[in-house]
Amino acid sequence: MTSSSLMAGLRDHPNEIDRMGRFAAMKRVGVASAIVLGLLSACKNPIGSRYEPDDAAQERGLLAINEAGCAACHEIPGVAWPKGRLGPSLDGFDDVGMIAGQLPNRPDLLAVFIRNAPSVKRHTTMPAMPVTQSEAADIAAYLYGLDDD
Amino acid sequence: MKSETGFDHALYDRFPTEARPDGEVRDLERIWASPKGWRRLTAVNNNYVGFWYIVTAFGFFLAAGVLALGMRIQLAAPMQDVLGVDTYNQFFTMHGTVMMFLFAVPAVEAIGIMLLPQMLAARDLPFPRLSAYAYWAYFVGGTMFFLSLFVGLAPDGGWFMYPPLTSIAFSPGINTDFWLLGIGFIEISAIAGAIEIIVGVLRTRAPGMTLDKMPMFAWAMLVFAVMIVVAFPSVILCTMLLEIERAFNWPFFDATRGGDPLLWQHLFWFFGHPEVYIIFIPAAGLMSMMVATVAQTELVGYRLNVLALVATGFISFGVWAHHMFATDMPRVSAGYFSAASMAVSLPAGIQVFCWIATLASGKIRWSTPALFVVGSVVIFTMGGLTGVMVGMVPFDWQAHDTYFIVAHLHYVLMGGMVFPMFAAFYHWHGMTSSRALSDHVGRWVFWLMFAGLHITFFPMHLSGLMGMPRRIYTYMPGRDLDLLNLISTIGAFIMAAGILLFLIDCTRRFRFTVDNDVGNLYGGGTLEWLPTGLYSTRSIPVITSREPLWDRPDLPREVAEGRYFLPNSATGHRETLITSPLFAEPQYVQLMPGPSAWPLSAAIFTAGFFLSLTVQAYAFAIFCGLVAVVSTLRWVWETDRPIKQDRADIGAGIEMPIAITGPQSHGWWALNTLLVVVGMIGFMALFAYFYLSGINGEVWQTPPPLGETVVILGVEALALLGAWGGRRVLALRSGRMAEDLPWIIQAAAAALLTGALWLDVTGWLESGLHPTESGMGATVFMLSVLQGQVVAVAIVMAIYLAFREARGIMTTPTNVTMDIVGRFIGYCAIQGMVFTLVPRIFPGG
Amino acid sequence: MIDALWGWPPPVLDPAGPYADKVTTLAWALFGMGVVVTAIVCAALWLAVRGSPRMKALIGGERTIWIGGIAFPGVVLLGLLVWGLTLTASLTQPIRGDEMRIRITGEMWWFRVQYLNADGDIVMEDANELHLPVGVPVVLELEGADVIHSFWVPHLSGKKDMIPGRRTLLRVQADRPGEFGGLCAEYCGSQHALMGFVAIAHKESDWQTWFDDRTTRVARTEMLAETAPPDAMPYPGDAAAYPMELGTLERYDARRGMRLFMESGCAACHRIAGTEANGLAGPDLTHVGSRRSLGAGILPNNRGTMMGWIGDSQSIKPGNRMPSYDVLSAEDIGHIAAFLELQK
Repeated sequence: MTSSSLMAGLRDHPNEIDRMGRFAAMKRVGVASAIVLGLLSACKNPIGSRYEPDDAAQERGLLAINEAGCAACHEIPGVAWPKGRLGPSLDGFDDVGMIAGQLPNRPDLLAVFIRNAPSVKRHTTMPAMPVTQSEAADIAAYLYGLDDD
Repeated sequence: MKSETGFDHALYDRFPTEARPDGEVRDLERIWASPKGWRRLTAVNNNYVGFWYIVTAFGFFLAAGVLALGMRIQLAAPMQDVLGVDTYNQFFTMHGTVMMFLFAVPAVEAIGIMLLPQMLAARDLPFPRLSAYAYWAYFVGGTMFFLSLFVGLAPDGGWFMYPPLTSIAFSPGINTDFWLLGIGFIEISAIAGAIEIIVGVLRTRAPGMTLDKMPMFAWAMLVFAVMIVVAFPSVILCTMLLEIERAFNWPFFDATRGGDPLLWQHLFWFFGHPEVYIIFIPAAGLMSMMVATVAQTELVGYRLNVLALVATGFISFGVWAHHMFATDMPRVSAGYFSAASMAVSLPAGIQVFCWIATLASGKIRWSTPALFVVGSVVIFTMGGLTGVMVGMVPFDWQAHDTYFIVAHLHYVLMGGMVFPMFAAFYHWHGMTSSRALSDHVGRWVFWLMFAGLHITFFPMHLSGLMGMPRRIYTYMPGRDLDLLNLISTIGAFIMAAGILLFLIDCTRRFRFTVDNDVGNLYGGGTLEWLPTGLYSTRSIPVITSREPLWDRPDLPREVAEGRYFLPNSATGHRETLITSPLFAEPQYVQLMPGPSAWPLSAAIFTAGFFLSLTVQAYAFAIFCGLVAVVSTLRWVWETDRPIKQDRADIGAGIEMPIAITGPQSHGWWALNTLLVVVGMIGFMALFAYFYLSGINGEVWQTPPPLGETVVILGVEALALLGAWGGRRVLALRSGRMAEDLPWIIQAAAAALLTGALWLDVTGWLESGLHPTESGMGATVFMLSVLQGQVVAVAIVMAIYLAFREARGIMTTPTNVTMDIVGRFIGYCAIQGMVFTLVPRIFPGG
Repeated sequence: MIDALWGWPPPVLDPAGPYADKVTTLAWALFGMGVVVTAIVCAALWLAVRGSPRMKALIGGERTIWIGGIAFPGVVLLGLLVWGLTLTASLTQPIRGDEMRIRITGEMWWFRVQYLNADGDIVMEDANELHLPVGVPVVLELEGADVIHSFWVPHLSGKKDMIPGRRTLLRVQADRPGEFGGLCAEYCGSQHALMGFVAIAHKESDWQTWFDDRTTRVARTEMLAETAPPDAMPYPGDAAAYPMELGTLERYDARRGMRLFMESGCAACHRIAGTEANGLAGPDLTHVGSRRSLGAGILPNNRGTMMGWIGDSQSIKPGNRMPSYDVLSAEDIGHIAAFLELQK
């Protein structure tokens, strides 16, 4: 796993990169470094392979979602209540183009984003969440496991 | 039997007479014919007005039912956002309001207008134009009220509209005003209908139909109408109070200024609970009649049943506070209202067992109405039993305002009113359709509705006990309510399917007619199954039993041959026979008004007046108000027409007077009933005054000086004397046209009343009282407002009288118009004296 | 997710105190009566319609009305009435005056809870939950602040309205520890449906500990606010559980949260004892960190829901009186949430 493959991932979505605006270059450095760090800590799933989380992880994920209160801002399938609308709905997460419009859509990156979104994307409306690494991974597992297409 | 009016009962033996010439039928047809084309809308025959009335009421039933389906979809699963909270709150408010005010009461009133004249063998109800006015006011007002839903302006404070939620602070939009003005106005229509029905039942029965031979439905409608007259003034008053609080900031319900939110609840439920019986009693009357027909035998326990109806009406005025057990009532009051609530179920039990005994004593003929009748007994019993449960104060503390109550009230109202009404549709549609509805389809309709009802409402008992409050737009998941609510939703759609099937059958088979009906499909024995035209029956039979058609098989033929009373038009005008209230002895021939556009115009502009007030188009409101008043006067103008003839042959050589005045006239009865309504409004306003002084006596201040009070009373006494004297002066001028003195005396009386009111109001203002400052100010000046309303009417009446005098149609020595004006002004004076005296003598605190 | 506080078994039939218990007995008797009478009527109806001629003759007379419609219901109703009145009387014994008093005020759309001392002074304020000791009768002083609400915790007692301008009294007592849910039972406008409440019964000794702890905790916050210098507060909970592998992670700073709370307008509506926040319109947040729920019994209380509620309460409880603070950045909301979590 190298940074070049990451950059390749970003190149697949040129529009997203263009949208970053004036400070795109500066940001990209920050983003890339964050991603590199993120991948170092969790690089079990090679790019391109379908992510197939195990059931136990998903179960733990749902529990962690409820305990952290994610649904106060997101509509999350399987969480009957609440269904907040401050953030986007997380239904069919693996079909979303990019995480927060910037990160390649992968469970490991999602886990990083969940724990500390502002460090990845300045001024995001997603705050850092008090979940442990393994909880974040479980949550990511849950969100990716929702869609069984 | 002793005679009530001096009428010789031996005269009844002259009937049946010889058959009368057929030409008289053609005269009747011509005289009673309705206008054609667009002018049909000006028709006043009960056949038309009653039918329109029923169709409109049923339309509102469907509309409110669709709202219910919307609510059931929203509640099918937890935390859904199908309707959204604002729409849901408007939906449930409108569902309750429309079902109660635009469906249930008008529907039974409509059935009354449709059936009563035929059932009593009267030509029509005594005030056909009033029926037309009541209908059009209801149609226009109700439709506009309902349409508010489509622009998001529908009321959203619940059908009970509790302040302070509905006060301007918490409901600043005009949604609430729509309710207050719309409903206030529809109540006027209900009262108009009630007056009509009281006088109709008591004064237009066929000769010989003594009170104990009256069809049970007529009894029920009598009780119904009396209850409306007593109960509705209360809600009229409380809608006025709340509207005045909202518009002019008079603190009737504002606790911070000496008002009290509970005042609304007392006034509202004093109307609101009798309202339930107002809906149930006519339906029970229909049930009693249908049970007899279904079993083909006389109703068992007729007298007990009458007693039960009257007792229900009576007791139901003593139970209102059982809606308020949770407001921390004193223990004694709670006990009293609990006992009364239990007692009111006794008459219901009597009726249920009357029906059971009747079914047992005859042989049942299964048909759609029979199914609906038996089904409603079961449903009503179940609803009544949960009613007994919530009549128990401690249980009510738990069940109150939960879905348990939702279940209870729907069982009662569906079993007590909707199912009987469907039964009645099937049972009586032969009177007005040229084709019969399908009995086969009807059974499907019944079973779908019956099953749907239980599936919808039975689980609600449980969801209530599980903690689901009423009037919630959603509920939290994970509270075991999901499944129960889903079942209820499914049930609602099953019920809706049954009603849809009924509609389909109606469009396929029902064809409205006034003269070519399929007739007596189920073998009923009462007079509405006599052969009829727009003039009702050809001749008005002498009645000797409760089910005349069963006892005298030849009766229909004899009636059609004109062998009884009034076989023709005795005067060449529309007319009916007025009989005495107890024994129904013929008293005189009443001339009846024909088609007219004025009631229609009066109704439209009354509605326009209220609606423009709602949307604060004050100039247009004044315009509409004026047009409405002028239309009303124009319509009334024609109803008191002097004709040359003053006696008429009503058949078999019996002569009767035409158009009399005084205590025997039907107009006198109607005016007195109206005065009861006005008096009840005043009485409830006095109650509000005393109530607030008891609750918040600390804001009460000393009244103006006694001398002033005496002066005002003196002026009012003088007005009373004038009101009485005007009639006397008219009587002195017997034999010729009256001159100016009588009306001048009445006008002077009206002017004195105005002066007295002015003195009263200024006196209070000088004493430092102000309507916006305290509960005392609000209620004292409210009395002035009420007095102002009647005085304004008195002034209009005096002017009207002057006009009639100027046109030379003030007959002597007595005159109906003079009678009415004098009596009304006299009432105003008495009311003025009471309103002046009470707050000045009984300052609370 | 908040645990199911009511639902199955139906709380009306699952009493947790003497004031609900007697009503449950009555309820069962009433249901029994309902079933029996329905059965009798249905049977009579069946016999009337389908019975043998002899049976029909037996039923088909006025005697049936006298027995079934007058005598039988008369006796049953009289019996029930006597029971009901006796029970009403026993449930509305005059208040002695020395009971523990707690004032609960219904507001649109939450409950203000004030613990009173013997003199009737407020010693502690909370919202949407009531802690009460097991076995001790408590008198609730119920008031309506704006419109009429109704207080109802079915496990403990029937409901009682909260009426502006009046003070109604309701006695409750829990006989076992537990958490008992309730909802406003009088339609009070837009968010009537989401106006929840919970009563939490503790063993008497636990309750005393809890109560003392709370009252002293108030004092501690006070001291903290006055003396402690602003300094980065550690991430709440066990710091070791949150190894921040990304160097730029901002730790939530409760001090900063406090400043933001005071400056962003929160303090205008909310009070936190011992700080300058003294708003009275909204719920008192002195103990918000220890509440089991947010938004009047509708959200579990955790970091995510706290942040979501601050940021966008309107999408969760549309029309509630707190505006959505979406003008604040995510980090700022996080700081405020961290601050509020400490207000135990």
